[in-house]
Amino acid sequence: MSELSRPYGGYAGRILRVDLSSGRVSTQDLPRDWARLFIGGSGLAARILWEEVGPGTDPLGPDNRLIVATGPVTGTAWHTSGRSVMVSKSPLTGIWAESHFGGHFGPELKYAGFDALVVSGRSPRPVYLWVHDGTAEIRDASDMWGMDTYETTAAVRDDVGYPAAKVLSIGPAGENLVKYAAVITNSHDAAGRTGMGAVMGSKKLKAVAVRGFGSVRVADPDRFYELALEARDRVLGSDQAMELRRYGTAMLVEVKQAIGELPTYNHRSGVFEGFETIGSHHIRKNYWVATKACFACSLACKKKNLVRGGEFRGLFSGGPEYEGLYAFGSNCGVDYFPAVLKMNWLCNRYGIDVISAGVSMSFLMELRERGIIGEDLLGGVDLRWGNHEAMIEALELIARREGVGDLLAEGVREMARRIGGEAERYAMHVKGLEISGQDGRTHRSAGLTHAVAARGADHMRGLVTVDQLAYRDVAAERFGEDKADRVVDGYSEDYKALAVKMHEDAYAVRDSLIVCWYSVGWPPLFWVDDFSRVLSAVTGEESWSDVGEVWLAGERIVNLKRAFNVREGITRRDDTLPERFTREPMPEGPGRGQVVDLERMLDEYYELRGWDLETGFPTRERLEELGLSDVAEELAGAGKLARGGGGS
Amino acid sequence: MAEQRVLLVSPELCTGCRLCELACSFQHFREFAPSRSRITVVRKEEEGLDIPVVCLQCEDAPCVAACPTGALWKEDESGLVAYDFDRCIGCKVCITACPFGGIGWDPKSGSVIKCDWCGGDPQCARICPTGAIKWVRAEEADATKRDRVARRFEEVSRLITAARGGV
Repeated sequence: MSELSRPYGGYAGRILRVDLSSGRVSTQDLPRDWARLFIGGSGLAARILWEEVGPGTDPLGPDNRLIVATGPVTGTAWHTSGRSVMVSKSPLTGIWAESHFGGHFGPELKYAGFDALVVSGRSPRPVYLWVHDGTAEIRDASDMWGMDTYETTAAVRDDVGYPAAKVLSIGPAGENLVKYAAVITNSHDAAGRTGMGAVMGSKKLKAVAVRGFGSVRVADPDRFYELALEARDRVLGSDQAMELRRYGTAMLVEVKQAIGELPTYNHRSGVFEGFETIGSHHIRKNYWVATKACFACSLACKKKNLVRGGEFRGLFSGGPEYEGLYAFGSNCGVDYFPAVLKMNWLCNRYGIDVISAGVSMSFLMELRERGIIGEDLLGGVDLRWGNHEAMIEALELIARREGVGDLLAEGVREMARRIGGEAERYAMHVKGLEISGQDGRTHRSAGLTHAVAARGADHMRGLVTVDQLAYRDVAAERFGEDKADRVVDGYSEDYKALAVKMHEDAYAVRDSLIVCWYSVGWPPLFWVDDFSRVLSAVTGEESWSDVGEVWLAGERIVNLKRAFNVREGITRRDDTLPERFTREPMPEGPGRGQVVDLERMLDEYYELRGWDLETGFPTRERLEELGLSDVAEELAGAGKLARGGGGS
Repeated sequence: MAEQRVLLVSPELCTGCRLCELACSFQHFREFAPSRSRITVVRKEEEGLDIPVVCLQCEDAPCVAACPTGALWKEDESGLVAYDFDRCIGCKVCITACPFGGIGWDPKSGSVIKCDWCGGDPQCARICPTGAIKWVRAEEADATKRDRVARRFEEVSRLITAARGGV
């Protein structure tokens, strides 16, 4: 591939296109203006999805796209450059879907010559994709259909003859179109959320393997390398980062118990009496074996754990992360760590999202306790608080879509619709995506984030930590000394709209570079001024050294995702929270009595975004300012563009 | 005699982040390309192991003995097994002879690639975030390992003291 085809430094310069209906493989040069406007990763994929997946497209039909994207930083030595993103229209929510994952796949895709992979169509038989050295082949995977992700990874590596090939794969859950099926890489790194595994399954795409012997070249190598070493040193110099290395994200179990934000019993409470035995100190002391990192990460938050005795003796697996510990632990009343590890491991093998699976089970547990469902619905699976045997049984059924597993496989919004009656009240989701391990009642900005994030109840796109973890100095830097005290008050709505808007914009850049949430969100070691320096050194595009341009890119990307959702029918009515968070005061713990005043934060948020207060539609003026005139035109044509802000 | 140093590799500390590969390829080719790195981390996924593999600069180096043109030789002063591109005919017999996989072939430059200690300041050791790769004085290499083992006993001793109710 010629140097000239690269729009800027850092990029491979090409997009790989695979149509599984026709079997056609082709490549496309990465348009220079896409790189400049949308950076890469999540932003670039948003542009592609906007153009190619029109409103009303069936997420599990051949017209949906499955995009795997990297960014200009991917594959370099800058801290956490190993992240990648999968983007599609979600079968779980019917709207914008993005699911990021770590490991080593993204860099390998760049070394193979591609910034992104776009899959369309549907294969008549099971296949896998073998990407290498600037090209790709569609290969038969009939023998692999039915395998779990570990078996698939091994079979694919064997078939291509490269033991170091990086593999993305689905298990039986993806094949059986479980609505929240995950895609797994590297044994335990998951593109977990929004059902990307089901999209792969619908296309009969069992796996994607990649091996690359190329390189990533940056525009200003000396400057860039200096920044990479500085980033590494900053991480190693941070006590919190090193604590995260020691304990992993499991640390959050204790942290959130202390602030009353550890979701417990289907998000009813924020404190769990059994937190200690699913907490990081207990895990480190009794189960920890090794610490691992994703590509180019100096922090290394991944843990390998071994169960040395008892019911699950011999189980050796990566994870679980905090979200798995809360979803299968506190939220279902389970305080036995080996059981949580076992469920997490099953999810990795079968390709299931741990959050959606855990919340779907806690939903049925609560409905049963309240007498809203009868025993007959459970088909003999004894789902009740703390019964991990029944949960393990349920996971098996979910993967195969058998018995109650077939209902659970739909996610809580659809389950509630089928069950009817009072059920919806206890269905913990926003826009169809199960709520992650936060609670707006004791972390107000998290409430707003869950309500407005493009993929539904999302903790990755706008989660503010300066309030949750009381980083007052950082709050003063970002918001000004006068606002800092109000910003860090987690029980107050004050300035939370401002904080969420700011963090969404910053994280949109992070997700497009792509770099990791950890050490950007928590601990807050890097921020938009760092991204500005990195982007200009990588790409050689001078305008990125203006930090305002970087902020603008973030806002542009957030608005494009919003436009995609609005085109699908999303309005302010969908930017909501389960009434548990807005009407049911936190029953116990440090945040006892707290509820979320969502409407107030929403008004402020739309105001700051330049969106219409009544409908939540973007305005023409703001979209044009962001360089999205064509998007504004299309929304106007569909009657989904707001007037106002002085626009026409 | 100048002090000799060695690259001390401790696989038990390796997280598999590959920063060493990135630093190495950048130092030698000014690009990020793990396939062109002189150090490679081999991952054993199921076992949870990551093992950095790099030229060990053998005292009695099989690659030196095997090389038919004198393109590889042992430097007395530093202890480095040195390589001269101009004398190399690209026969790759050194790759065959090396018992450790410490020598590779780079098709892009058409040359053997092996660790040259970056001329005395190995970038893999500079960037390694966990101390799995260290640039230490040769006579202290074993002491460095021993020290780490000893530190484990310190921890055990603390636990015992605590269990006895001591301070």
